[in-house]
Amino acid sequence: MSATVDLLTTVPPAFVVIAVALVIPFVSDRVGHTIGFVASLGVVPWALALRSSPGDYIQTAFMGFDVVLLNIDAFSVVMAVIFGGFGAVAVAYSYYVDASRIQTAFAVSYVGTSVGAVLVGDWLTLVFFWELMAVTSTLLVWYYGGKAVRAGYRYALLHGAGGSLLMSAVVLNYVQRGAEGFVFTGEGMASGLPAVLAALGIGVNVGFIGLHAWIPDTYPRPGIGASVFLCAFTTKAGVYGLYRAFPDGNVALAYMGAGMTVYGVVYALLQTDMRRLLAYHIQAQVGYMVGGIGMTSALATAGGFAHVFNHILYKGLLFMTAGVLIYRTGENSLKKLGGGLWRRTPVTAGAFAVAALSISGFPGFNGFVSKGMITAAAGKTQRYVVGGQDILWWLMMLGAVGTFMSFVKFGYYAFVKGSYEGKVRDGNIGQKLTVSALAVACFVLGVAPGLLFGILPLSDEWTAHPFTTGHLLEGFTLAALGIAGFYVARGAISRIGVARDVDSVYNPGVFYGTRAVARFTTMAYTAVDSGAVRLAGFCTRAVNQPAETARRLLPEGARERYDERVAKKPGETGTRAGIGETVLMLSLVLAVVMYLFL
Amino acid sequence: MTEVESLRPLAAVAVSAVAILGILAAHRRPNLRESVTLVSATVMFGVVASMVPGVLNGTVYVTRLGEVVTGVPFVLRADALGILFAVLASFLWIPTSLYSIGYMRGLDEGGQTRYFASFAGALSATMGIAFASNLVVLFVFYELLTVSTYPLVAHDETDEARSAGRKYLAYTFGGGVAVLAGTVLVYVAAGTVGFSAGGIEGLTGGAGTNVARLAFALLAGGFAVKAAVMPLHSWLPDAMVAPTPVSGLLHAVAVVKSGAFGLARVVLDVFGPDAIAEIGAGLPLAGLAVFTFITASVIALRKDNLKRRLAYSTIAQLSYIVMGLALLKPAALVGGLLHVPAHAFMKLTLFFCAGAIHVETHTDRISRMAGIGRRMPVTMTAFGVASLGMAGIPLLAGFVSKWYLLAGSFSAGNVVFAFALLLSGVLNIAYFWPVVYGAFFETREGSDEKPVIDANIGGYWSGVADHYAGGAFTDGGHGDEDDGGWKKPGWRGGEASPFVLVPILVAVGGAVVIGVAPATVYFFRIVRLVVENVTGVAV
Repeated sequence: MSATVDLLTTVPPAFVVIAVALVIPFVSDRVGHTIGFVASLGVVPWALALRSSPGDYIQTAFMGFDVVLLNIDAFSVVMAVIFGGFGAVAVAYSYYVDASRIQTAFAVSYVGTSVGAVLVGDWLTLVFFWELMAVTSTLLVWYYGGKAVRAGYRYALLHGAGGSLLMSAVVLNYVQRGAEGFVFTGEGMASGLPAVLAALGIGVNVGFIGLHAWIPDTYPRPGIGASVFLCAFTTKAGVYGLYRAFPDGNVALAYMGAGMTVYGVVYALLQTDMRRLLAYHIQAQVGYMVGGIGMTSALATAGGFAHVFNHILYKGLLFMTAGVLIYRTGENSLKKLGGGLWRRTPVTAGAFAVAALSISGFPGFNGFVSKGMITAAAGKTQRYVVGGQDILWWLMMLGAVGTFMSFVKFGYYAFVKGSYEGKVRDGNIGQKLTVSALAVACFVLGVAPGLLFGILPLSDEWTAHPFTTGHLLEGFTLAALGIAGFYVARGAISRIGVARDVDSVYNPGVFYGTRAVARFTTMAYTAVDSGAVRLAGFCTRAVNQPAETARRLLPEGARERYDERVAKKPGETGTRAGIGETVLMLSLVLAVVMYLFL
Repeated sequence: MTEVESLRPLAAVAVSAVAILGILAAHRRPNLRESVTLVSATVMFGVVASMVPGVLNGTVYVTRLGEVVTGVPFVLRADALGILFAVLASFLWIPTSLYSIGYMRGLDEGGQTRYFASFAGALSATMGIAFASNLVVLFVFYELLTVSTYPLVAHDETDEARSAGRKYLAYTFGGGVAVLAGTVLVYVAAGTVGFSAGGIEGLTGGAGTNVARLAFALLAGGFAVKAAVMPLHSWLPDAMVAPTPVSGLLHAVAVVKSGAFGLARVVLDVFGPDAIAEIGAGLPLAGLAVFTFITASVIALRKDNLKRRLAYSTIAQLSYIVMGLALLKPAALVGGLLHVPAHAFMKLTLFFCAGAIHVETHTDRISRMAGIGRRMPVTMTAFGVASLGMAGIPLLAGFVSKWYLLAGSFSAGNVVFAFALLLSGVLNIAYFWPVVYGAFFETREGSDEKPVIDANIGGYWSGVADHYAGGAFTDGGHGDEDDGGWKKPGWRGGEASPFVLVPILVAVGGAVVIGVAPATVYFFRIVRLVVENVTGVAV
């Protein structure tokens, strides 16, 4: 047993996955995708095998600090399992949507760095992989070209800022705490400035309100295979990082999470681009996870991680089904899709229905279980109680209703309303296989949640009862409210039109502001520089040609008289004394001076 | 610390001085002339490298050559700080010489004998600066460096080149005069100008705080000219008119790092961190450094000429070193000194790539470089990797020094410095990454106008509607089949000659090695030794 553990812990799996990613561009499409699939999937049994041997492995030194390259505990295992498993499905899907192997190479390196980030045991290496995740995902976005390039640039800038904030939190935490170093101690970030900086830095990745606009800006831009990868890793690694920074929760985080669920859903309802709608839902669902991490109870934290697991499954499935529709119709927008597609693309429609019910938390699917854990914990919070329940609980319920509404909208406009003119086929065999696999997973984890509970952390500190009458009733009520709400509000929603988010303020603000600062600085500097050059020129001339300089400084009248005198005779400057008289005068002056001073 | 009499410091200086004669003699035989350069570069590096293990063990190699003036000995001394600079400069001269061969022959430039001879002279002066044992010897070689680099800056002999050369001389000789004045004041205040780790004894006590402040201001100001600290920096962008290997030399190896090195000597070995804290000179210098790197980064956003953008980036990155030195905490000193080799490798890569692009395509402007990554993938990949390093991305040298600079800033108490550093990192992304994405992911027809900040807010595609031109949409992506508008002549696919390409790979490889395994690289160990000797703290 211990020999197996030793063997499995010699190399962090992230290195293997990244190494495979570097090989992929040099082999054929089929071989490349196959090795990517295998490398990513291999993380799952690896993590499950090590689940019962928690501890810090591969301790070494980097840059003069102690680091832990591999840390096995319940949190890192559950993250590794879902990242590796989903990464494999996404690689398979990429192959079947004709993604180039270069794109998949970038994607697999992104999966590798994400797996690395969630398996390390210290902050220095976490930051290391965090930055590499940002770089690999930027490359993945850029690869598509066109509009994705500029969006990727904005993404890179924002993630650069977020990563810098996290880096400053980690370093400041180290400086304040002293010789403990960077290794995880279970205490999280020191309160005060380190905690605030960590929250903001990680907040960029998870999509705190105000820091979230990159998600809807970036995720719809690249190809459909790329979007499937993008939706899963950055935000959830952020949730994991948030747990490590705040293991005992944080009140502000809990309420921010609840706020995110409503904010994301409101904007999602107003979207017509399919992937943009789904992107806003990422923010909303991550809000549940952040809320779970923010609340202090073990049930909430475990619920947060359960929701990470389930969300990756159903959100990936949603992006995949949307991707099949885009693949077959060439349209991104619900308005232009044509509608009535359930007849033509039944498998896709069925898979979409499963995913929509999962994300909305309908009983029988996986979202219901994990969302239920978090809302149950919210129900026990009694801090700002209004109408019998805390605001936290009300916001989460509101978010759930809105989620239902927006997926009824999506399903209605894409699959139900109208009928499609022209030919369209369902997804190809591979696309059907991958979406079905995920749909089955969502259903199985919905009716047999114990499978997931087995790998969730803190298992001896909580018990969940998802199928109580109360919870089931809650689920059905939310569904009914959602469907009703959509029919009531559907006219109003389509009339509102474009929804402006915070980036319509900060994008022009930062762009024009930086341009103004840059122009001002260059103008000011050019002025200073030319002034300095003129001054230097003046000084040089003054020293070289004192007479000329003195002449220029004379007032008008005196200068004219001087010029007249100079013009009279070369060599004479206007005095009447000859050489002999000059020498005599000089000698007399010198004699007087020497007499006086010596 | 044991002193050992040895001829090796003198040999390091003399090798390339002697090589000047060889280069001039081989004027009519270019291959022989270039071999003289390469051989002397290798020998110089060998001599310097042979001293490294001894220095790491605490030995200091000394060559005594009499007296400059009474009371000021002419001694060449290889201690830890000197070895750091000498190893960096002599190592990087080898790929730079190879690159010069490829560059000068690729462009069929004239005056190559003068060029290679001046280069050798400049490296000789650089070794002298590194091994100077007191301020006067340092000053002598400092001025010799200016003199030997003037023909390199004015190489093209055009009006622009000559006026850039004049400006260069005006600034650097002015700085030299300030250094001399400061040296005199130090001699008057302390009775000696020799370097001693941790500072000269009695410097601040002897003549009073104000004299010490004046001396520091003169010395720091004089060295800051070559270290391109604002407002004394403007010689550097104008000097970009020189051939690219010279810009690489000026920016990575010799001149600007000699200014930073001089500052390091002043902070660590003349005054010492404690004395500087006493006279309160650290904070103003750090503030000036912060002003420099923020302002230079902002100005770089607007430069279309690639070499000028790199020049402003150099000005900014050098002030990281200055800030690290000025913050006086051990971690900050480590970060600042480590940035000397880290930045050297990364910036040299960037300049070499710019030169390769110039040789192959005669393109100097970023606005014309869209899609060039398809013609010169290796070059632009190296450029991309180096620009990742500039932003402080892990796996590259910039991350290591940035981490230590952050730790030093936070432990100095003033979080403003840390945030300014991080802001500068984001600005690095803002001005370097458009070059990279333009090269690989855009095409000539559909590219953003550059500089990004001076063009329209959404870029090229902002006005284009979000739809696809009918038919089934696949995940193939845009523009991955075409060549982006660049022709790929020949079987090599459009890259420059190996003389140009191999040095690029060496430089970027060095940046990666320092970033991945810093503890195995001598630079890191030498830096820690220097800081330990000065502060007594083992970082």
